[in-house]
Amino acid sequence: MKHVFFLDGQEIPFIPGQNVLEAAIAAGKNQQIPYFCFHPALGSLGACRQCAVKMYAHDSKHPPRITMACLLPASDGLQLVTLEDDVHTEHREIIELLMTNHPLDCPVCDEGGQCHLQDMTVQTGHSVRHYSGPKRTYRNQDLGPLVYQEMNRCITCYRCVRFYQDAAQGEDFGVFGSRNRVSFGRLEDGPLESPFSGNLVEVCPTGVFTDKVFRHDYVRVWDLQQGPSVCPHCAVGCNTTPGARLGTLRRIRNRIRPEINGHFLCDRGRYAFPYVTANSRPLQPRLMGETTRQDAVLRQLASRLEEGRSGFLGSPREDLQSNLGLFALADCLHAPFAAVTSSWAEALAQQCLALPQAPSLQEVAAADRIVVIGDLDSIAPMAGFAVRQALRQGARLTVLASSRTELAQKGDYRPLRPSALRDQVAQLADDPCLQGGRFPVLLATAETLGPSGLYALRKTLEKLPANARAGAFVNRPNLFGAAYFAADGHTERLQQALRQRKINHLLCLGADPLGEDWGAGTWRTLAPGLDGLTLLDMVDSETARSAEALIPVAAFPERAGLFVNYEGRIQAFSPVYRREALVLHSAVQGSGFPEAAGGLKHPIGPPPPLFWLGRLAEMLHLHEAWQKRLDFYLHFLCPERPDPEGPGVLLPDTIRARFEIAAVPATRTVTPEQWELDIFRWYGGETLADTADELHSLAPARGLRVHPDVQAVAATLHGPCGDLQLPVIACAEMVQGVIAIDQEGFAELGLYPGDPVEVSWEQRQ
Amino acid sequence: MRVWRNISELGAGLWTTLRQLGRTSTVSYPEEPLNLPPRWRGRPVLTRDPDGDERCVACQLCSAVCPTRCIELQAGERPDTRRYPLTFRINFSRCIYCGLCEEACPTLAIQLLDEFAFSKEHHADFIYEKEALLIDGTGKHPHYNFYRHSGVALQDKDKGEGINEKTPVNVRSNLP
Ligand code: SF4
Ligand code: SF4
Ligand code: SF4
Ligand code: SF4
Ligand code: FES
Repeated sequence: MKHVFFLDGQEIPFIPGQNVLEAAIAAGKNQQIPYFCFHPALGSLGACRQCAVKMYAHDSKHPPRITMACLLPASDGLQLVTLEDDVHTEHREIIELLMTNHPLDCPVCDEGGQCHLQDMTVQTGHSVRHYSGPKRTYRNQDLGPLVYQEMNRCITCYRCVRFYQDAAQGEDFGVFGSRNRVSFGRLEDGPLESPFSGNLVEVCPTGVFTDKVFRHDYVRVWDLQQGPSVCPHCAVGCNTTPGARLGTLRRIRNRIRPEINGHFLCDRGRYAFPYVTANSRPLQPRLMGETTRQDAVLRQLASRLEEGRSGFLGSPREDLQSNLGLFALADCLHAPFAAVTSSWAEALAQQCLALPQAPSLQEVAAADRIVVIGDLDSIAPMAGFAVRQALRQGARLTVLASSRTELAQKGDYRPLRPSALRDQVAQLADDPCLQGGRFPVLLATAETLGPSGLYALRKTLEKLPANARAGAFVNRPNLFGAAYFAADGHTERLQQALRQRKINHLLCLGADPLGEDWGAGTWRTLAPGLDGLTLLDMVDSETARSAEALIPVAAFPERAGLFVNYEGRIQAFSPVYRREALVLHSAVQGSGFPEAAGGLKHPIGPPPPLFWLGRLAEMLHLHEAWQKRLDFYLHFLCPERPDPEGPGVLLPDTIRARFEIAAVPATRTVTPEQWELDIFRWYGGETLADTADELHSLAPARGLRVHPDVQAVAATLHGPCGDLQLPVIACAEMVQGVIAIDQEGFAELGLYPGDPVEVSWEQRQ
Repeated sequence: MRVWRNISELGAGLWTTLRQLGRTSTVSYPEEPLNLPPRWRGRPVLTRDPDGDERCVACQLCSAVCPTRCIELQAGERPDTRRYPLTFRINFSRCIYCGLCEEACPTLAIQLLDEFAFSKEHHADFIYEKEALLIDGTGKHPHYNFYRHSGVALQDKDKGEGINEKTPVNVRSNLP
C-alpha cells in the first residue's frame, strides 16, 4: 500500500517510520520547510526549531498546531500546511534569532555559494536584521591541516558533534561551554584524529568548518567543473565529485551512493587528490631522464617491442580498461603479462575474487555480528565507518589483530600474531562471537590475512549459515579488476622469462616493481637483467626515476575508466576536467576571439594510458587486432557498461567461480620464539596519497612498531632480499613477538606479512 | 474642427524644431572633452580601503554577476589568512559598463570610473591585469573597510576588535 500525507495539499509519499521532513526531502518537496539540524544520515534532533509546519488534526476537536516537521512521524492522510502566515512568521523569526550573532562574512567565507544557511535565509525571506547590538565572537582553534574553523558562524545545530561522536565515533571533538557560549571543537588545538574528520566540512550547514586544503587554492563552487568520479585510493570505491577549475583539481566532495559511502567520505578520499597537482607528478615524457616529445618516446618503445623481448606488467592501481589495453597488447605480441608484482599478491588477488559476493557497506552497517580481521580503518576507512554504524545499532564486534586498533577498542579484541590468524579464522564457524546473529559479516584486510588466511575464510564461510558474508579489503582501487588476469603463475612466468633472459625489457603500467610494490625485492635482484624499463604512470616513484622511458598518463579525474571494488562492483568514472594552461591571446597567432577574460586554453595534461597503448598498437601495425581483443575482453568482463551516475554493475558469479579452483595457497609455519612481521599502515597512507602534502603531514613516523617490552632503540631486520634498519617505536597496543613495518619495508626485505624474520636489536647505550 | 486641430499640432511640432535654431548643444567629441555626470558608468577599477590595503577579497561575486563573463580572478591567501585576488583580469573588449559588478561587490572594491572610450590595436591589450586595475585610492567610498565589519581575525585585528563586536567568549566559563 502506498502511504501518503499532504503538505500544502500536495501528496507526499512516505515509508512508515520516516518523519515528515525526511519524506518531504526524499520527495524533493521541501522548498517550503527550511531546516538545519536534521541531516538524512544523522537523523532529527529538534534543536534548531526551524522546520515548523502546521498540523491539522484528523478530528475537529483539536485546533491546528505548529510543530517540528523533523520530529513528527509521517502518518497516513496527515494534513500539513506551511503556506499560512503564522508558519511563515515562525520560520522568519527563528532564522532571525539564529542569525543575530552571525558575522558579516559571506564574501570571505568558503561556504558561500554552497551554504545551507544562505539558502535557508533567502528561502524564508529574512533580509533585514532588526538586532543592531554587538555580536558574540569566538576565538578559532587550529584543527590541523585539513579542516579550518571559524567559530563565529555557528548556529548550534549540533550536526558536527552528532557526526563526529555518534557516527564516526571519534573522541577528540565535542561541544564545550554553556548557554549561548557553546562552542564546537577540540579540548585543545591540534589535528583532528578521526579518519573521517573531513566530513565536518560537508555536515556543517554553515561556514564554521571549511576545507583547509581547498582554502589554499579556493574558487567559488559556481565556477567549479564537477563530475561523477570514483575514489582511486582503496578497494571500497566510494563515489566522489571532484571539482576543478582552470585545468587544476581543487577539491573532492562526497557523491551520495547509498550502497557504498552514503553521505560520507574518509580523509584519504577527500584529501589525497593533490597527487594530481604535486610538483613531482610527471607531465612530460622522459627518455633516459631527459624530457622529450611524445613521438620520440613512442618510437623508442615501439622499437623495443618490435624486438619481441618485452614483458608486460599491469597494476591493481590502474583502472580496468588500461589494464585490459595492456593485456591485449601483450596478447597481440605473444609476450608474458602479469597484473601484479609477486606470486604472493597474485594468490591474494585470486583468493579475494574467489570469495562469494561480499556485502555492500550498506549491508555491513546492518549486520549484527561482525568479525574484523586486521586494521580495517587503515586500509579501507569507510569500511570501518560502516562497522561503526552497525555498532550503533547494537552489533557485536570482534576484532582479531596484532595490535589494539581504534576499532578493537570498540569491541572484543583478540590479540593474535598474524600467523595465528589463519587458524583462528578457520575455527570461526563454531566461535561464540558469531553465534546467535541474524546477519554475520566477516571483514578482513587481505594483506594481513594473506592468501592462506583468505582461503580459510572462504572455507569458514561455507560452514556458516547461508546469509553470512565476507569481504576482503586492500588499499588498491582495482585489485579485483587486476585479479582477472592474475591467472596461476603469471607473475612467476614473467620473472622466469626475465631470469632466463627471454625478455630484456619491461613495460609497466602504474606499477612500482623497483620501489614499494609487493615483491619489489625480487624485482630489484632481477633488474640488472633488464636493458630497459618503460613505465606509464601518474606519480613519481622509484621505478619512474630509474625507468629508461617514462610516459606520463592522465590522473583519474582527468579520464574515463572502470574500477572493480571489493564487492566486484564495476563502477565507471568520467573525465571531470582537462588539465589546461591559459595561453594569453597575444601569444597565439591567428586565433579567434579570446576566452572568458582573455586567452585560450591549451590542453597540457598527459593523455590516458589507452591513448598511448593505442598509438603503440598503431605503430606496430596491430591496431585492429588490439582493438578487437580489447573490445572482446571488455565485453566479456562487463557486458553491460555501468553508468557513472548509477550504482555500477556487479560481477557475475560465473566469473568468480573460475577462481575457486585456484591452487590452495601454501601456509607458513612460525614458531613462537620467532619474530613475526605484520603490516603497518595508517588511514591516509597509499601510493597516490603519499604525495598529498597536507594529508601526508599527519603521517606517523617510520619505524619498527613493537611491544614496549623490547629494550632497543633500533633494529636491523634481515630478509632474503636485503636488510632494513629502522628505529624502534614502542607501541603499547602491539602484541608481543610481532614487528609491524610499512609496505616499503616489506619490499626491501622481500618478505610478506606473517613471515618470520631475523632481527638484530641495537640496545640502548 | 479636426482639420484645425491637425494644423495646430503640426504648427506646434514645427515650433519645437524652430526653437532650436541658433542653439549649439552638440559637443564635437572627441575634440572637445565631455562633461560627464558623477554617476557615469565607464570602465571598472579596483580600489583600496582607507588603510591603503586592497579592498577586493576575491569573493567572485562580480565575476558571477557579470553578464558578459569578462571578469576572471583567482583567490589567494596571505599568511594571516586574509583573502586577496592573486590574479584579477577584466577583458575590456567585452565589458559593457553595465555596472552590475559594482552593484554586486560587497566590499565596494570594484567601482566604475568615467573612462569609457579607449582603443587598442590588439584584442589582447584590452585584457587588463590586476596591476592595471588596482588604483591607489578609495574611489567613491572614502570610509568603508569591509574587514572592520566582518568577523574574521587578521594580523592587525583580533576577534572582538571589529565594529560592533563583543570580546571573545570564554568557552571554559560555566557562569550563568
Ligand atoms: S556561513 Fe553562510 S551565511 Fe554565514 S558567512 Fe558563511 S556563507 Fe555567509
Ligand atoms: S559548528 Fe556547524 S555543524 Fe556544528 S553546531 Fe555549529 S553550525 Fe552546526
Ligand atoms: S561593468 Fe558589467 S560587463 Fe563590465 S565588468 Fe562589470 S559586470 Fe561585467
Ligand atoms: S565582488 Fe568585489 S570583492 Fe568580490 S571579487 Fe569582485 S571586486 Fe573582489
Ligand atoms: S530541522 Fe527540525 S528542529 Fe532542526
